[in-house]
Amino acid sequence: MDTKTLVEALKLERLEVNLFRGTTPEEESRERIYGGQVIAQSLLAAYQTVEERICHSLHCYFIRPGDPNIPIIFEVDRSRDGGSFTTRRVVAIQHGQQIFNLAASFQVAEDGYEHQSDMPAAPKPEEVESDIELQRRMLKDAPPASRAWLDRPQPIEMRTVGGRFDVGNPEPREPNQQVWFRAKDAIEGHDHMHQVILAYASDMSLLGTAVRPHGVSWRTPGFQSASLDHAMWFHQPTDFNEWHLYHQESPSASGGRGFNLGYIYRASDGALVASCAQEGLMRMRKARPAK
Amino acid sequence: MSETDAQDETLVETLQLERIEMNLFRGTSPDNSPGRIFGGQVIAQSLLAAYETVEARVAHSLHCYFIRPGDPTVPIVFEVDRSRDGGSFTTRRVVAVQHGKQIFNLAASFKDPEEGFSHQAVMPEGPHWSELRDQMEVMRELMKNAPEEAKRWMSRSPPIEMRSKDARTYFLDGAKEPVAQNWFRCRTPIGDDAHMHQVILAYASDMNLLSTAMRPYGVHWQTPGLQSASLDHAMWFHKPTDFNQWHLYVHDSPSASDGRGFIRGQIFAEDGTLVASVAQEGLLRMKPPK
Repeated sequence: MDTKTLVEALKLERLEVNLFRGTTPEEESRERIYGGQVIAQSLLAAYQTVEERICHSLHCYFIRPGDPNIPIIFEVDRSRDGGSFTTRRVVAIQHGQQIFNLAASFQVAEDGYEHQSDMPAAPKPEEVESDIELQRRMLKDAPPASRAWLDRPQPIEMRTVGGRFDVGNPEPREPNQQVWFRAKDAIEGHDHMHQVILAYASDMSLLGTAVRPHGVSWRTPGFQSASLDHAMWFHQPTDFNEWHLYHQESPSASGGRGFNLGYIYRASDGALVASCAQEGLMRMRKARPAK
Repeated sequence: MSETDAQDETLVETLQLERIEMNLFRGTSPDNSPGRIFGGQVIAQSLLAAYETVEARVAHSLHCYFIRPGDPTVPIVFEVDRSRDGGSFTTRRVVAVQHGKQIFNLAASFKDPEEGFSHQAVMPEGPHWSELRDQMEVMRELMKNAPEEAKRWMSRSPPIEMRSKDARTYFLDGAKEPVAQNWFRCRTPIGDDAHMHQVILAYASDMNLLSTAMRPYGVHWQTPGLQSASLDHAMWFHKPTDFNQWHLYVHDSPSASDGRGFIRGQIFAEDGTLVASVAQEGLLRMKPPK
């Protein structure tokens, strides 16, 4: 799926003033819906009920695994249309049950106080191998079906500094990482699509940060991980066709959960364009007898 | 007035809810509330309303939006949506209503305690609470020429005791770094109920946070023309804790732009255990001169 296909696939059908229907792109996995897709579609549903204002934050919970084989219904609650802020809540429903909720706030653009934390040092994106290239190298002897899967077009290009930790041997590392990412092809349509695609991409790799010190990965037998929530603050508009540095750190893991913070900087001028926070489930299933 | 002044009621009593129906609750604000309800009160009461519908599980996160200013003169109605009762997780949403309108929403997740992978950020260096003075005491001293009404407000002993290394410079103009450290704890007894410690920690986590984003601009909540208000609030509870004991609340503000400031916070127990993380965005704007 290329970027253009993604933008098209995220689009919603309006069933009623506050009710929308979306589907999962055909090229996606048929096992469960990728979290970033539901975030992006819920944000789009909210945007459909907001005039001329820009999203500055969103908070979501993943409640149940999404079923990619049937549509998702998005129900919008118009919490408030205020003088400078608009608030919305969205519930995503499948099989009569809530799978996801989002709350978001929108604001008229204004000027004012400005400060930001500096972009941390990182090797340039041109100096970092893309995650896909690395996976191709690691899997060069894999069966053709696996290699074909790696050759499919990707909407988001990712380059993890130091290589994706979960490829190969996940030896314990520091609970922080840096990923360069951008939308691979031009994002067309409404200005807010850059924000929506950034939200889509922000659910990638973040959860893995808390896992790094513990010598496991999603390939480790018995290891269970899933995004539990996701929050995002948009500090300023950006062009997600440009490279952005996703700087991630995990201040905590405890009680079967890992907590991660992410900061998204634009490569061209170092501007902090968004911040993210996410908690994820990370646990070893009770040991089963070895095969 | 001494720090140990008896309170008419404890914070636990102030926050108490009346159950109207299975998923419907009503709370009130203390008589001495200023013109609008303190945000932390609505966070705490909403979390409590959610807890009333959850059996034996512990909150590990909450996310809220402040939608309209709360009116302390009328009750608040809390409506709970039982989003999911799952095998390991319980999810709830709460809407707080006044005058027929939503003033606030919260979503929260609960789970059974479990053991597992563990790491945490290190508590930063800073002065110990025993070396610092009570924030109200310092403010009373700094504002001894303030109007009678302000002095009356400052004469009370608030339920959350706060000691900040910046208390003395708080009302001084001039740019400062967007970082801050406060020691705090609940002065009134919370009791044995572990989830009440969490509820009151959530109450207190809305205090002093937004002012960290104002520090680079030499302004504070009393600067004429400055408009400031919490917009959202998110909190992750990493470990249970006893909030009648001192905790260090560390803030930094990675961003201000577009009339908003963003602040993150970390709450450490005195032994250095990271017990909670916080994130908040607030409105931060100078009213254009008329």
